[in-house]
Amino acid sequence: MTTNVPALRAAGEIAAWTNALSLDVHRFAAASAALWSDRPRPLTITPGDVGRLETLAEAFLGSHDFVVGAGAIFSTGAIRSKDGGLEWWIRRERSIEKLEFDLTPGGERFYDYQNMPFFASANRTGEQTVWGPYVDYLGMDEYILTYSAPIQLEGEFAGVAGCDIRIRTLEEILMPTLRAIPGNAALLNAGGRVVVGNSGAHLVGERVRPAPGEGTLIPIDVPHLGFSLLVSP
Amino acid sequence: MAPTTAFQAHVYRSLPETERSGAIVDRISKAISLGLLKVGERLPSETALSEMFGVAPSTLREALSDLRHQGIVATRRGRSGGTFIVRQPFTSADVMRKWFEETSIAELRDLGDEHAAIAAATVRLACDRAEPHEVGRLLDLARALVMSDRSEARAHADSRFHIELAVLAQSPRLMNAEIRLQAETVQALWAPLSPTRDPERVAAEHLAVARAIADDSPEEAQRLVLHHIRHDIHHLVDTKLALGYPTREERA
Repeated sequence: MTTNVPALRAAGEIAAWTNALSLDVHRFAAASAALWSDRPRPLTITPGDVGRLETLAEAFLGSHDFVVGAGAIFSTGAIRSKDGGLEWWIRRERSIEKLEFDLTPGGERFYDYQNMPFFASANRTGEQTVWGPYVDYLGMDEYILTYSAPIQLEGEFAGVAGCDIRIRTLEEILMPTLRAIPGNAALLNAGGRVVVGNSGAHLVGERVRPAPGEGTLIPIDVPHLGFSLLVSP
Repeated sequence: MAPTTAFQAHVYRSLPETERSGAIVDRISKAISLGLLKVGERLPSETALSEMFGVAPSTLREALSDLRHQGIVATRRGRSGGTFIVRQPFTSADVMRKWFEETSIAELRDLGDEHAAIAAATVRLACDRAEPHEVGRLLDLARALVMSDRSEARAHADSRFHIELAVLAQSPRLMNAEIRLQAETVQALWAPLSPTRDPERVAAEHLAVARAIADDSPEEAQRLVLHHIRHDIHHLVDTKLALGYPTREERA
């Protein structure tokens, strides 16, 4: 166990920040699910639902200035939709804009969201997930991180609500905390990939496999996301 | 074909004339700082320029007026008149500081990724294709870096070396890619900001790459050039970190 006090403090700050965001994403998912309470089966997404989801996404974007995209993605098995069930909005200068995806299997820019990790993993585990850093080709075409929380309808998985953060924004948010750690430190995702590093030693996107004795891994206390803090001399 | 997504529509929207004028200023300034256009050189006529850039004459005149205002070009009337390059532009420390603030570490790393890909292929081809007398020139260019004492001259020598590698590779496409990458990075690398880059070390790395090409060792040349680019990116990251992170409120 490490006695690196600044690193432990940084890990605590990152956990607090992430848990606050997770709580908001869970609330967003619950508010999305509430739109379908007391609906007759089979469940469908009506144009009115899309409008109400837009209001929720707009509020989420409005209250989180560091978030660039937000919305909900529905499981085709749980809820019927004419347009495919991918309802996602992104921030524009003064407004928000709905992202259009190619949801035709076999299409040149087919966005196979049912197999996207942030959807598939929430489907498999029923828990919140984070995916990234990844280049969101076919979506926003940006380098982002996506947080998502499951939408439960009558106790069953029906999709996810979530948000996107640009890596460059996350870097601005977390760097002061990471820079307070002496030496090289980096926030790693569950796969051991650097999310933000406090020096050139660990650059975002690189996979780190510290050899024994080379560094200390401090878990970030956020359920299910698998973040850790790598600290090396 | 009409754009099918909001993003495509955003990408393909028509360019405002001010952006075109800015792009011309940017391209000419960068060409001068990379040594592709030289001080004293006369630019083609306004008609020829607006035709080549594909812009309205008024847009071109706006760009030239901007360059005149910055003291980079001067226009002389008369028989031997025309627009001449009079000064090598070098971006001020303030502008460079802003560039570092606006460029994230993720973007710096990505710049390095692209440069690594281009440079690795370039040096391998240079080993295959360069003739012995051409390598001598490369060694001279590597040494030129320590001869100069101003950041402008060092930046020029640095980019000249990298562009020469692509010239030795006999590939106009790789050369164009290298010119574009140099235009994006070289001023930041030699910006008068802390920490400063040690020209001796950079020259030593350039010399080592040049010697590996002279020895016809593609593996070694590739290893050395990738190592060199990684150093460059670390330097950019260190400079950015040394400038600190403004709070989001300060930025807004």
